[in-house]
Amino acid sequence: MTNSGNLQLTENGELRHFLTPEGLDRLMLERILDTADSFVVIGNQEVKKVPLLRGRTVVNLFFENSTRTRSTFELAAKRLSADVLTLDIKTSATSKGESLLDTLQNLRAMHSDMFVVRHSDSGAAHFIASQVTPDVAIINAGDGRHAHPTQAMLDMLTIRRHKGKFESLSVAIVGDILHSRVARDQVHALKILGCSDIRLVGPNTLMPQAITSMGVTTHKNMDSGIDGVDVVIMLRLQTERMDSAFLPSAGEYFRLYGLTTERLAQAKPDAIVMHPGPINRGIEIESAVADGPQSMILHQVGYGIALRMAVMSMAMSGQMQQRHAKAVNPLSLKREPQP
Amino acid sequence: MSILIRGARLIDPGKQLDQVTDLHIKDHYIEAIGDLTGVNADTEIDAKGMILSPSFIDLHTCLRDLNQIQKGTIASETRAAASAGFTHLCTSPDTQPCSDAGSVINMVKNKAAAAGFCDLLPVAALTKDLKGAQLSNMESLSGAGCIGFSNASYDISNNTVLLRCYEYAATFGLKVFVQAQDQQLGSGQMHAGPTATRMGLDGIPVIAETLAISRHLQFMQHTGVSGHFNQLTSAAGVALIREAKAQGMKVTADVGIAHLCFTDTAVQGYHSQYHVQPPLREESDRKALLVGIVDGTLDAICSAHQPHESAAKCAPFAATASGMATYDMLVPLIQKLVDAGDLTWALAIQALSCNSATIALRKMTSLTLGEEANLTLIDPNYHWTLNSSSQLSHGTNQALANQQLKARVKLTIKAGHISYKV
Repeated sequence: MTNSGNLQLTENGELRHFLTPEGLDRLMLERILDTADSFVVIGNQEVKKVPLLRGRTVVNLFFENSTRTRSTFELAAKRLSADVLTLDIKTSATSKGESLLDTLQNLRAMHSDMFVVRHSDSGAAHFIASQVTPDVAIINAGDGRHAHPTQAMLDMLTIRRHKGKFESLSVAIVGDILHSRVARDQVHALKILGCSDIRLVGPNTLMPQAITSMGVTTHKNMDSGIDGVDVVIMLRLQTERMDSAFLPSAGEYFRLYGLTTERLAQAKPDAIVMHPGPINRGIEIESAVADGPQSMILHQVGYGIALRMAVMSMAMSGQMQQRHAKAVNPLSLKREPQP
Repeated sequence: MSILIRGARLIDPGKQLDQVTDLHIKDHYIEAIGDLTGVNADTEIDAKGMILSPSFIDLHTCLRDLNQIQKGTIASETRAAASAGFTHLCTSPDTQPCSDAGSVINMVKNKAAAAGFCDLLPVAALTKDLKGAQLSNMESLSGAGCIGFSNASYDISNNTVLLRCYEYAATFGLKVFVQAQDQQLGSGQMHAGPTATRMGLDGIPVIAETLAISRHLQFMQHTGVSGHFNQLTSAAGVALIREAKAQGMKVTADVGIAHLCFTDTAVQGYHSQYHVQPPLREESDRKALLVGIVDGTLDAICSAHQPHESAAKCAPFAATASGMATYDMLVPLIQKLVDAGDLTWALAIQALSCNSATIALRKMTSLTLGEEANLTLIDPNYHWTLNSSSQLSHGTNQALANQQLKARVKLTIKAGHISYKV
């Protein structure tokens, strides 16, 4: 537990920040998936907007580069009718020496209702939610190696829509587990949703210490790792890993852990293949597999918008309830943690 | 000036003394010990239920000041040290500017002397500016009062330079202090274990410590230098020191109070107050450190006091400064270990006073007639709350802020004078 369970919920147990699936219960994750399911339909309509966040201000705070995640969050907020401000902080105030604390307090003073935060430090979203702006809903769009909960939950949505119940599934997550915030949250979400066979596949250099304490098995061999699984999740391999002695070469990595058509035959015949993107063709996945019938990669992108609409609307609703409760009876609330 | 302390439990492990009696101080020295009914003094203290011991000597502390007064001044932090029972402090050389020159050493010592709470026993830089390239003026620095040499948390990666550091120290019989953590393997933010994995923080494996200990032990053995290891953290590290001592090496070691009391799980929730270097490790390591104190493998307990201003700890975990302000909670933490049955006050005093005095001063402080009176009086049953009005350190990085604590130093006496009193 990273102690974020309580922090993410209102006193009535409603979602008010979304930092990681860890600490949330199965009911809450299923509510997120159900809500996302209902938003999937909206993407197919001629008019793609709903007024759930009308009059609310959402600020996308990207302290780390991202194109895909940032644009899906922006689109999700716009489809919910929010006013959206996207800040690329790398070229903004913090590079002039302003601290994270000061930047956020300034944005809060502009009456922002929600921050979507991506930051290279693990725990950044947690820090903001607990110590800086607890009355602004925080959606974690990726913090260091720690968590990327909307990506993990859109993966859960993909699995549920295409494979059904989690209890009977075997899931393999392959590649750079060590640096992956997605893998950690996928493991948390899969465990909470009832999946009991979670296999992490990769060399020791890319496997975090004591990872089996999270209730998973580890596999050095790709063939045994994906043997008979229902879902294969491939992780992106950052090319800089080659330069920092985690791996000898892209060629050897692809030979040992790359997903090819031949290798995919080890999994169940109806197994699905997922990847958080962007994919490195020929490094972690063969084009024939990425573009093949078992690939869910483009579905994941579509579901990503629906899933983000779901958590944004739920967290905003929870945060508004909390603010209202505070305004009605300030003494009934526990003190917010102070810096 | 005379002080009479009545009815205290006098504990001096160096003298195998553990007895409830009176102690009389006159003109800086211990005048009498025993039943002193009928004797009068300028100051009389009823110390029933309290523990009187030789004063504490801290083998590792960071006093800030100079260019870091936002974190604490020498006056504020030596006063906080006195409130934890210390009269002598071995200061780390990673001051700003670096403690590699006589002028810096003199300035620091003079500031402490002017404040009057503690005497400083500086540990100077082993290499100039701690850069690991050129030797510091060790002999001159020793003449200026430095009791040892250390490269603080900075590695000397060049083995030739390190060998020369040891050879030069051996020439003049100087002691080398080591903070044993390989700098490259130690680049993470917390202990490499399940908690770091879950939180996505970079882990520091135990081998970062054992590798550094083994390496320095080889240099100590090769050159005959007497070495002291600061702040051990792991069971494997304790085992290496135990083995070196069994082989007859002139080596000593200490553990920080935080590592004796907390583990890596305290970091859960990204609690930056528990961001320390070297990192807090697992419960099995903490237990092994306690065994090390009990069986004498670890000679001393140090404060590893590192005060910070609030902004230094208010950021995402990796961006926060490492270090804990420990002076205000040190005695309550020892009492907690005593209450848990992990330690006795006699063992704690051995580690905080007798052994650390031998390492730093090369002689024991003791409760002996005619000795200079350097004493600590502790009330083990005093209940208080650690908060901004009760704390003395300027550091706001108090891990136990706003908590109810038990035990407190009532009185610290340095050279016969009261340096701290509640």
